[in-house]
Amino acid sequence: MNICLLCQQVFIPELSWIELFSLKKAGQHKFCTQCMKKFEKLTKIRCRYCDKNLSTEGVCRDCQNWTKIYPHKLLKHHALYRYNDSFHDLMVNYKRYGDYALREVLQALCAKELAKLKFDCYIPIPTSPEHQATRQFDTISAIFAELVPLTPLLKKYEKSGAQGEKNKQERLLSPQAFYLETDQHLADNISQGRILLLDDIYTTGRTLYHARDKVLEEFPDAQIESFSICR
Amino acid sequence: MEDLTQLAGRQWLASQADSHTFKDCKQIVAIAAGICNRCGSKVKAKLPSGKYYCQACIGIGRVVEGDYLIRNVQEELFSPVKNGGLTWQGKLTEQQEKISTALVKNFHNRKNTLVHAVTGAGKTEMLFQLIAECMRQGQRACIATPRIDVVNELFPRFQAAFQEIAIGKYHGREFREPGLEQLTICTTHQLMKFYQAFDLLVIDEVDSFPYVGNAQLHFAAKYAVKKSGMRAYLTATPTADLLAEAKAGKLEILKLKRRFHGGLLPVPKEKLFFRQFLKKERINPHLLKEVKKVIQAGHPLLLFVPRVEEIPAYLKALAQDAELKQLKVKGVHAADPQRIEKVQEFRERKLDILVTTTILERGVTFKNVWVIIVAADDAIYTTASLVQIAGRVGRAKDDPDGLVLYCYHRYTQNIRDAILQIKEMNR
Repeated sequence: MNICLLCQQVFIPELSWIELFSLKKAGQHKFCTQCMKKFEKLTKIRCRYCDKNLSTEGVCRDCQNWTKIYPHKLLKHHALYRYNDSFHDLMVNYKRYGDYALREVLQALCAKELAKLKFDCYIPIPTSPEHQATRQFDTISAIFAELVPLTPLLKKYEKSGAQGEKNKQERLLSPQAFYLETDQHLADNISQGRILLLDDIYTTGRTLYHARDKVLEEFPDAQIESFSICR
Repeated sequence: MEDLTQLAGRQWLASQADSHTFKDCKQIVAIAAGICNRCGSKVKAKLPSGKYYCQACIGIGRVVEGDYLIRNVQEELFSPVKNGGLTWQGKLTEQQEKISTALVKNFHNRKNTLVHAVTGAGKTEMLFQLIAECMRQGQRACIATPRIDVVNELFPRFQAAFQEIAIGKYHGREFREPGLEQLTICTTHQLMKFYQAFDLLVIDEVDSFPYVGNAQLHFAAKYAVKKSGMRAYLTATPTADLLAEAKAGKLEILKLKRRFHGGLLPVPKEKLFFRQFLKKERINPHLLKEVKKVIQAGHPLLLFVPRVEEIPAYLKALAQDAELKQLKVKGVHAADPQRIEKVQEFRERKLDILVTTTILERGVTFKNVWVIIVAADDAIYTTASLVQIAGRVGRAKDDPDGLVLYCYHRYTQNIRDAILQIKEMNR
């Protein structure tokens, strides 16, 4: 018997045949099938760069706009789910109310796919110190630290505000809010490597492009891509 | 020192870091012995610091181990109001009068009471004397209900009946913190923000989601009322545990079997369907026929579907039909941002059909409405839900009857029990 982290109801996990015969514990199922169904995976046809769902193959309008600022250097982004109402509710509970235990739901949603992406170094997008102080945890690191080895190079300035509280226009216009905190040892390790930036939601791309700019300042030869659970 | 009178009867959270002391308030640890003192839940989740926090009541602010709950208990805040502020001029039926008088008497004796009255019995009116008595004594009352829609329905009715009393209206979509009113109408969730505030607490639709079976809300209801206070529960479909409490003598049960207009409850019709209700965005033609019958009879229709995800499909399918195309049809569900507006539009007859989930099963009155329940055999419809939905029909004096149709593939125990219950109340 498990208790669903989302609806708090008891459920019997649906086991696949492989799980049934393997020695894995059924306790790994964090939420019930009903709740699982609420999260929509992104469908096949996506933007070549940011994974946004499109009706026909190609490059989405957001990314076309990004080419004006970053010609020939668009960020390759990997996303898994659509940011629908259920995801919104989940993120509200996790981030606004600070329900730390829900990181396990987010982990369960992305662990498998994230494991398939092999990178040398994983850099989480930081949260502002004020937010971290009230929540008493870092929302992004809390999700990913238990899945991949993190290199927390990026820091966020104080009072730089949260993207979630702005509209699209304000988001796109928001200034660079990150700075790097690195040492020689780290620098040697990643200067040539493949880096994956980790975030929870990709909305306009502003945050991730800013993060990439910052990392490139220090490591101009690094190959950088990005990942978020929703798009 | 700030004035805390506005926060009388309230409890709120103060973090450990906050060294502020509140005059004349009780300050207790928010989490003690693994239990959250605001909602009574066992705390299980931990923050990275190792401190426990409560997940159950996190929606009204996270309680973390080490935080404090500040409780502002104050007596004699209000002065007696002449006639209890009741400006209502209407007249109760003989049966309503009996219940109303018994409630007032039980308030004097502080005897907790369960009013079991059929849908459309006029429960709201039966509360007027009780509330007035509480106001007359200069005491504080609260009417709480699990449903936002019911709060929105009750509030204007009490405003009209008690024009001299300031009434507070609070629920999760009002985005306001409760203030100091002598009469508060709110959702049961809001009760967590109160501590020993009320001399009288009425819980309307006590058997409905999310209050029913929710230990946190029961805990909140227990502590929101003063130790010397009285509780009254109202429902058309009492749960087994309430009936058991009544049997054990902890609650007095008052029964009212007739609607205020004296008419019988409409007995639902049942219809067996062999094919799916909805297939490839097309509605089963037999179901469509039933929908058209209602429209042709000139009645607004509440079409109940079991799941939110199905609403768009029904809307689309209805819009494709040549006959129904010109009708105004909308869908509504719990998380719908326009929920309140849509319900109001339907109430004002600006919509012909409202496709809905069980959120509109109770506590709402729509004049002349008829209802069809698609997939009445779905597990989501409890016996109480089915009885309540049927109770939406025939509530007006000049239109005391109407169609209630249960559409099903499989005849369930719940359908059977619902119809039996309705017939039993009609006897």
